[in-house]
Amino acid sequence: MRRFERQPDGTLRAELDAEEALLLQSLAGQVSDVVASGIALAGAVGAGDSGDEALSDPAVARLLPDAYMDDPEASAEFRRFTVDTLIGRKLRNADVLIRSLDDAAEKGEGVVSLDGEAAQAWLRSLTDIRLTIAARLGIDSEDDDAGREADPMMRDIYDWLGFVQNSLVEALDDSHE
Amino acid sequence: MPRTIERTDASATSALESPWVTLVWNDPVNLMSYVSYVFRSYFGYSPAEAERLMLQVHLDGKAVVASGTREEMERHVEAMHDYGLWATLQRSDA
Repeated sequence: MRRFERQPDGTLRAELDAEEALLLQSLAGQVSDVVASGIALAGAVGAGDSGDEALSDPAVARLLPDAYMDDPEASAEFRRFTVDTLIGRKLRNADVLIRSLDDAAEKGEGVVSLDGEAAQAWLRSLTDIRLTIAARLGIDSEDDDAGREADPMMRDIYDWLGFVQNSLVEALDDSHE
Repeated sequence: MPRTIERTDASATSALESPWVTLVWNDPVNLMSYVSYVFRSYFGYSPAEAERLMLQVHLDGKAVVASGTREEMERHVEAMHDYGLWATLQRSDA
């Protein structure tokens, strides 16, 4: 995959091969499954219920974090009112990413092109994917080798996703100049 | 002039009331460029201020990125969670 570049018509375009498109689609789909499991939090009212079980997955706990640092009750209350919306947004972002890659993945078109709205979905979905991989690999520092022992290939994918996201941020910034 | 007194009382109460703040916490995952981008595009901070806040998060572990009513801060925290940033709200004197 090459870096995202802003086109004269305002779209953000990157070259990528079918394998990369399929990988991104697969990762986004897997993260959607993780996010969806957080729906148990919508009905969680106290300790020991299904909400606790969902939060015992560190990826869920990071994707749908506490809103209050030292107040579990207020955090649970906040989640009850917001988690449906938040999960819905995250699933939609992943869906936008997956659909925007259909042609690249299936027809091998070699390119992905995003409008402003799709770019916003991509930024968030790439973040959710990286947060989930970090939780799975136990990446808890900025060390380049954190989590590498657990799964060297996934650590490489994590770094690659960081490159993709950074190039998208830079391309978006480019549009304001 | 009871109306005037009422207004004075109301503004004195809101001035004494502790405002709430939104904190963004450092995490090892989110890119510095992305965090700075979120501060600019969501809160409308200038590039220099967004960069300063991002570095504060990165170096100090956290930064206050907004203050106001509890309801406003809850909206900000929800938006930060949508972006994938680790954010919480609390009373500013907490």
